[in-house]
Amino acid sequence: MTEELIDEGIDHYRDSPAFTESEKIALEYSELMQFATEKIDGAFYERLREHYSDSEIVELGTFIGFNVGYHTFFRTLDFYPMFSPDGRLVSQEESRRIYGERPVSHLQGALDRALAEAGNQQPEGGEGS
Amino acid sequence: MIIEPIDHDLALQQGLGDVLSTCEELGVSDDLFPRILGHAPGYAEAIHDAMYRAHALGNVDHKLKEIIRIQLARAAQDPYFAGLRSKQALAAGLDEQRIDAGSGDFENDPQFSAAEKWALRYSYLMYQEPEKIDRAFYEEGKAHFTEAQIMELGGMIALHYGMQVFMRTLQGHPSNDPEG
Repeated sequence: MTEELIDEGIDHYRDSPAFTESEKIALEYSELMQFATEKIDGAFYERLREHYSDSEIVELGTFIGFNVGYHTFFRTLDFYPMFSPDGRLVSQEESRRIYGERPVSHLQGALDRALAEAGNQQPEGGEGS
Repeated sequence: MIIEPIDHDLALQQGLGDVLSTCEELGVSDDLFPRILGHAPGYAEAIHDAMYRAHALGNVDHKLKEIIRIQLARAAQDPYFAGLRSKQALAAGLDEQRIDAGSGDFENDPQFSAAEKWALRYSYLMYQEPEKIDRAFYEEGKAHFTEAQIMELGGMIALHYGMQVFMRTLQGHPSNDPEG
């Protein structure tokens, strides 16, 4: 899994050769659950059944519903990841600077900001001094 | 139904007896939802337990949480969860007039206390205008509820709304009519 693939799966999955038809409809299921629930009808579930068993659909739907509910709640609590994209334990203030006020791709600055923040915290003379 | 629930006997064979008993006892959910989740091993117990704890247990008035749960289900346009009623809340005096009031102009309704209005506003705003739930909003809430109670409310809102959105897509309806 790479950041490029995550971004592709969010922004361009419909036309992307990086995803199978099964993966594309699962991504569509997730997108519609959040933004256009009314489009998930019997015909949509029939399309899902071409790729997934009822057990897998329940697994997917529950996981997506859980995330739809919780991410909005978490947003209101105004907290940020404990670790930076490069794996450092960071304060909430630093995490906010790295990840930004709104969720965006890690490739749109978060990784660079994490490395810059890490560089700012290096002792004088840099690593190993 | 988009996905047929597993058979009642199969649910019992899967060890869902306690879950189904709780459903019968509380009425929210009825046994339809866990029997649908029963298609995915382990999901029915885990999700039912979390939803039950969030809704029926804890330190926030259950009647208030029942009004909130129904307000959310109506917002999610889910006839299944919106149609269910907690037997525990009804036995404690909750009625349909008050349930409807919680989904209406509750801000100007004198039957709700300031604390109840904050909680109803919290659930209403969460998926309509979440940007309005900011630090100042939480500070106002802390005048009425402890942080533990606010987390209890927020967790309940998030979990129940998420499952209501999922259930809406499955086009389910309560197994019993309002008279039971």
